[in-house]
Amino acid sequence: MTDAGPLLEARRVFKGFFGNPVLKGVDIALRPGRVHALLGENGAGKSTLINLLSGALAPDKGAIAIDGQPISRLSPASARAAGIAVVQQELSLAGDLSIAENIGLGAYPRRFGLIDYAALARGVREVCDLVGLTEPLDMPVADLALGRRQMVEIAKALFRKPRVLILDEPTSSLSAHEAGVLGRLIATLRDRGVAILYISHRLNEVQALCSHVTVLKDGGVTADRSLAGVDGEGLVRLMVGRETGELFPPKPQQRVGKVRIDVEGFSAGLVRDARLAGRAGEIVGIGGLVGQGQEDLLLGLYGAIPAKADRAEIDGRSGLPVDVAAANAAGMVYVPADRKHEGLVLPHSIASNILLPSLGRLARGGLRDRRAEAGLVADLARQLMIKGDVARPVQALSGGNQQKVALAKWLPLDPGVLLLNDPTRGVDIETKREIYLMLRRFAAEGRLVILASSDTPELVHLCDRVLVLREGLVAAELSGPAITEAAIVGAAMGVEQGEGIGRKTVQ
Amino acid sequence: MMRAKAILRNPPLLTFLLVALVWLIAGLSLRGFGAYGHLRYLLELAAVIGIAAAGQTLVVLMGGIDLSVGAVITVTAILLPLLSPAWDPTGLVGVALVLAIAVGIGLLNGAGATFLQVPPIIMTLAMATFLQGMLVLVAGGSAVTVQNPAVLLLGQSRPLGVPAGVVLWILVSACMLLLIHRMPIGARFLALGANPLAARLSGVSTTRNTLILYALSGFFAGLAGLLLLGMNRQGYVGIGDPYLLTSIAAVVLGGTSILGGRGTYAGTIPGAILLVTTTALITVVNASPGWRSIMFGSLILALLMISGREARR
Repeated sequence: MTDAGPLLEARRVFKGFFGNPVLKGVDIALRPGRVHALLGENGAGKSTLINLLSGALAPDKGAIAIDGQPISRLSPASARAAGIAVVQQELSLAGDLSIAENIGLGAYPRRFGLIDYAALARGVREVCDLVGLTEPLDMPVADLALGRRQMVEIAKALFRKPRVLILDEPTSSLSAHEAGVLGRLIATLRDRGVAILYISHRLNEVQALCSHVTVLKDGGVTADRSLAGVDGEGLVRLMVGRETGELFPPKPQQRVGKVRIDVEGFSAGLVRDARLAGRAGEIVGIGGLVGQGQEDLLLGLYGAIPAKADRAEIDGRSGLPVDVAAANAAGMVYVPADRKHEGLVLPHSIASNILLPSLGRLARGGLRDRRAEAGLVADLARQLMIKGDVARPVQALSGGNQQKVALAKWLPLDPGVLLLNDPTRGVDIETKREIYLMLRRFAAEGRLVILASSDTPELVHLCDRVLVLREGLVAAELSGPAITEAAIVGAAMGVEQGEGIGRKTVQ
Repeated sequence: MMRAKAILRNPPLLTFLLVALVWLIAGLSLRGFGAYGHLRYLLELAAVIGIAAAGQTLVVLMGGIDLSVGAVITVTAILLPLLSPAWDPTGLVGVALVLAIAVGIGLLNGAGATFLQVPPIIMTLAMATFLQGMLVLVAGGSAVTVQNPAVLLLGQSRPLGVPAGVVLWILVSACMLLLIHRMPIGARFLALGANPLAARLSGVSTTRNTLILYALSGFFAGLAGLLLLGMNRQGYVGIGDPYLLTSIAAVVLGGTSILGGRGTYAGTIPGAILLVTTTALITVVNASPGWRSIMFGSLILALLMISGREARR
C-alpha cells in the first residue's frame, strides 16, 4: 500500500518572513495508508510547512504537488476541494454555534437553497460516532471542555471525507481516554488509505502510531526515514545533533558568588512547588516545551502575577516582591518575550522607552532633568550599539535593536537579578551573538541571569545550570557537563534517559 | 513643502492656525466680532471649557475618559453657596471644601477604574448619574445664588483689563504643560496610555497613577465649576451639562489621540477657543435654539473628522 504514489508533496520548498528564512528547501511526501510523523523543536518550521501544505501560505520557491501534479497556486479552498484537511493547534471553532453547525460549517448540505438540517444531522452523527462524541449535537461548543472541543475540531475535518489529514499536536489538550480513541481512529483511517501527517511533541505517541518520520531542524530536513527499529532515545537523537559554531561565548570556570535568589515551595500560575536558587555570576536557564510555566515562574518572581513561596530570599531580603515596583527596588528586572506588546511602548521614542524606569531617579526638584536624561540615553545607546536617532519611534527599529532597547532601559538600575524571557526570539544571528556576550558580561559583573528559553542550544551553550519545566513542575535540574540537548529534550518530553519511553498514552 | 508637512503633523499648531483663520475671516465679515470686548468674552467662555478639559486631557492621554466632568461642575456650583460659612469673609473655606469634594469624586472614579476594574466609561457615567440624583435631592429644583466673595472675584474681576478667569486658565495651562512635558508623572501617563502592559512591567504603577489622574480630573472640573458659578452668579441643576461634550471635543480637536498615549494640552487650548468661536458664529445666525444645537453638534462632528483623523492601531 505504501508503494502507491504520494497524495500530497512539498518539493524543495523555501519560505521566509521579512528576510528571515524559515524553510530552506524542504521535501516531504505524504503517501496513502501511512501515518507520517513531523518532528522538530519550536521554531524549526513545522507550522510554516503545514501552512504551505494546506494552501494557507504560498512557497517562495519550490512547489506543492497533489497526486504528483505540481499546483502553481494552491489556495485553502482548492486544498479543501482536493481533500486536504488540517486540524490546527489553535482551535478555530465558533463558540456560540452548536456542535453540528461547527462541524458542517462551510459545507452545509443544501435543499432548495436552504440548509438541510436533517441531512446535516445524519452526516454529523456519523463522524461524531467515529470520534466518540456523545454530546447532544445542538449543544453550543462553548459549553464543552477543551478536550471535547478538540474532538469536535477533528470531527469537522473528517466531515469533509479527507484523503489527506494533517493533525497539529492533536493530543495536547486530550485526556488519556480521548487520546486512545484518537489513536484507534487514526489507525482506522490509515487502513482506509488516508494519508496522515502527525505532529506531536509526545514521542511515545509518535512511536505507537507512526511508521515514517521527517525531522525539521532550523528549516532543513535532517531525517526522512522509516521508524522501524527506532526507540525513544533514537528519536531524541534524530531531533538533536547539529554544530553550534562560534555563536556562544566560552563558559568561564564556575566562580561561585553570594546567593542572590533562594526560593522554596514556589507557586505562581502554572508553576507548582518549585525550588530555585541562583548565585551571583551564574546564568540559570529555564527550559521545557512551550507553555509549561516558564513565563509564570519569571512573572511570579517579578511580582507581576500573584505568587507564593514557603520560603523566599532575594538578595538578603526575605519574601517575594509584592509588585513590580518592589521587584525593581530589590534589584530585579524583567525582559518579556513579546517585546512589541509587553516590553516596549512602540509608538514612543527610543529615548522615552529607555528612560521609563529611570524617570523618578533622574528628576530634580520634581522636574525632569533633560540634560541628565539625554546623557544617559546617549551613553546606553553607545554601550549597546543601538543604531539610529534616539528620537525615532521604537517601532521603526529592527527586532534585534528593539530587544536591545528593552534590555538597555534596565541597566541604569544596576540590577542584581535579570529575568529574561526568550530574549533572542525573532532576533537575527548577529544580534543574538551580541546579546549572548552581554549576558555573559552581566554574569561576570556579579549579577544573576535567569533565562527562560525555547531554544535548546542556547540553554546548553550559554547556561551554567538548567531547570527543565514540565506541566508546571521542575522535571530536571542539570548542571555542568550534564547539560546536553538530549537531556533537556528528554526531560521536557518526559523520556527518561536510558529507560526508553515513559507512560504510553496511545495504544 | 517640508514646512507645510511639519505643520500638518503638528495638531496643536494646526488647530491654532485654524482658530486664527476663523477669527480673521469672521472679524472682517461680521460687524462686532473683532471688537476687543467680544474677543475677551470669547476667551472668558473658553477658559471654562479649557479648565474643564485640562483633567479630561490627562485622562484621555492615559487611555481613559471622564464622563462625570459635567456633573462635577454642577456639584461644585450648587454646593458652594451651601458650604460657604458666614463667618469666613474671604470665601476661601467654601472654595477649599468644594474642591476637596471634587477631588474625592475623582478618587472614587479612579478607585472604581483600578480596584474594581470597571471600564472608565461606565464608572464615570454611573458616577455622573449618581451625582445628578444627589443634586436633585439636595437642591431640589431651585437655583442657588452665590455670595462667596472669592468666587465672585474670580468670575467678575478684571485685573489690568484681563478677566480673572482667563488669568486662572493661563495658570492652569502653565501647570498642565509642566506636568505633561517636564514632570516624570506626565511621561508615565503617556506610557500607560500607549501600552499599559509594557508600562506596568517597566515598574509604572497603574493603581497609583490612575488614582492621581482621576483626582486631578475631578479637581480641574471643580475649578471650572467655581469659575462658571462666579461668571453666572447663579448655580442650578444642569449648569455643567454642556461641558461634558465640549471638554472631550476640545481634547480631540487639539490632536490628542482618543485611544491614549499621544497628545498634549497645548492642543486643547486652541481646541477650546475653536469651540466657543463656533458657538458664537452659530449664535449670529438667526435660528431657533433647536436648530442651533443641531448645527453645533454637526459642526463638532465635522471638525473632529477634519482634525481627529488618526491612524488606526
